[in-house]
Amino acid sequence: MTDIASLIHDTRVYSSLYTDPEIFAREMAEIYARNWVYVGHASEIPERGDYVRRTIGTEPVIVTRTTDGINVLANRCTHRGNLLCQAERGRRRAFACQYHGWVFNPSGELVDTPFPAGGTADRSSLRLRRATVEQYRGFIFASFAEHPIPLLDHLGHARQALDRASDLSPAGEVYIGRTWIKHLFQSNWKMLSENEADGYHVNFVHDSFAKAIKRQVKYDNVLSGDEQQVAAVVRGLGNGHAELDYAVTYDRPLSWLGVKSDRYPEYTDAMTKAYGAERAIEIMRAGPPHTFIFPNLFLAETCLVMIEPLAVGQTVNWHAPLLLKGAPDSINQRILRQGEVAMGPSSFLTADDSIIAERQWRALLGSPAWLDLSRGLHRERPRNDGVIESHYTDETPNRGFWRHYKSVMAGAPEMAAT
Amino acid sequence: MSDAPISETEFRALQDFVFTEAKYADESRYDEWEALLTDDMRYRVPAGDGTDPSPFAPSIIDDNRSRLATRLRQLRTGTRLSQAPLSVMRRLIANLTAYRAGDTEYEVQGNFVVYEYQTQSTNQLQVWPGQATWRIRATPDGLRLCAKTVLLVHRSGPLPSLSFLI
Repeated sequence: MTDIASLIHDTRVYSSLYTDPEIFAREMAEIYARNWVYVGHASEIPERGDYVRRTIGTEPVIVTRTTDGINVLANRCTHRGNLLCQAERGRRRAFACQYHGWVFNPSGELVDTPFPAGGTADRSSLRLRRATVEQYRGFIFASFAEHPIPLLDHLGHARQALDRASDLSPAGEVYIGRTWIKHLFQSNWKMLSENEADGYHVNFVHDSFAKAIKRQVKYDNVLSGDEQQVAAVVRGLGNGHAELDYAVTYDRPLSWLGVKSDRYPEYTDAMTKAYGAERAIEIMRAGPPHTFIFPNLFLAETCLVMIEPLAVGQTVNWHAPLLLKGAPDSINQRILRQGEVAMGPSSFLTADDSIIAERQWRALLGSPAWLDLSRGLHRERPRNDGVIESHYTDETPNRGFWRHYKSVMAGAPEMAAT
Repeated sequence: MSDAPISETEFRALQDFVFTEAKYADESRYDEWEALLTDDMRYRVPAGDGTDPSPFAPSIIDDNRSRLATRLRQLRTGTRLSQAPLSVMRRLIANLTAYRAGDTEYEVQGNFVVYEYQTQSTNQLQVWPGQATWRIRATPDGLRLCAKTVLLVHRSGPLPSLSFLI
């Protein structure tokens, strides 16, 4: 078996981490099946019995609301392995298998097996595998670990990104609608994870976007092409989480939406009522997070993104707009439109990111090598709270990602962020 | 729609228009394609299974004229990586029906399949089947496209990058 630790150094990683099917299988077992994974938002299953189909790594699961809260169950009949739910979403009081009629309740207990006279199996040993579930501000995470650390310890400093996203709503809550856009990348899932907090590529991969838009407003600072001018920062948040922060480049409320501050007076009023003028202005100025939460959640400013690994060279990037509860329709329309610029197969940005990820994967498959991740090492600014901040184009997020990856893949139980 | 029937001559002109639009799209002839559009052109490629009633359901593409102009400017830079190099494409259009919709507009609907040889990363043949609706307006300068809606057969599933004109 490959010694994973030998493939990950402080400032370089070996390409087989992206291309080796054996390593992919171990990631599913060590990372996805033993740690907290994002599976959905409470707003997607508002009523008792509502469910959505998701995956934890490659494992199909059902995320369902019950009288006792939210359950995450393996979407696999314990009898002969049929998917219990095929539809992507729906409402069920119980999960009946269509193969031989076994019925499981929303807690995963086997409650009925047809033609009972022939049954010899012990029902209690045939319950559905059930994950530990915790929520933070409606964001639902699940873990198949036997004794997971508390979710808040896993989130550490990334918890503030969930606050930042939610606080943009006057009700303090975001919501996710029914329609997702699924963008297929013929590349490894980690290429998406790493790219999401990579500031260095923006001037190159997205050069055509910079040239095509007339008024840049939102991206003015980072597309300036001058290293000294760029004021946005990257942060390694610990536990593999990382972010790009544009807040310092926004000098007034709502510039992150590319509009004037007085464009949505109803929204401004609602925010002022909810938070008081001073805090409301600061929330609306700083804007949404651009934060990757290990291993599969990306708060992509006006969108929420889930990374679904399908195979070592195949990944789906799911996105939906992060809509603000209690906000006027006009601003949610704007959020929707802004998301369509950035994310998806035909967007102005990720359509091109996917091509680079696919080229990277092909290059590494045929030409194995060490990959350099040393950029910015000399100018990182470690903060007292353990967060490492650096220039927008530095590889601090990648180094943080791999440090955490290495510790998790080595079988170490996840530690609370400092 | 309250579909007023049209003459054989009108149908032929609409069909020619649709085939011309397809040819320019296949050959990435952006200037000629853009010249077919009205100033209020709307270009839509919806996502999902079509049952979401929300006004906030995201689309794969939902361009007004100004965003479509930006899309074309980005393609013309030559560094739009998902179309550099350009995809090699040919599309077939069939099952066309057409109605008169109001005094100056027609609605044409048909099935299509685009065969795309993806040349940017995977070098694979992609097949894009679906239904298209063209809203076409008679103007003093001839027929012009004022809306195009493309319903991909696989719009609720994962799609690779789609940055050519569909």
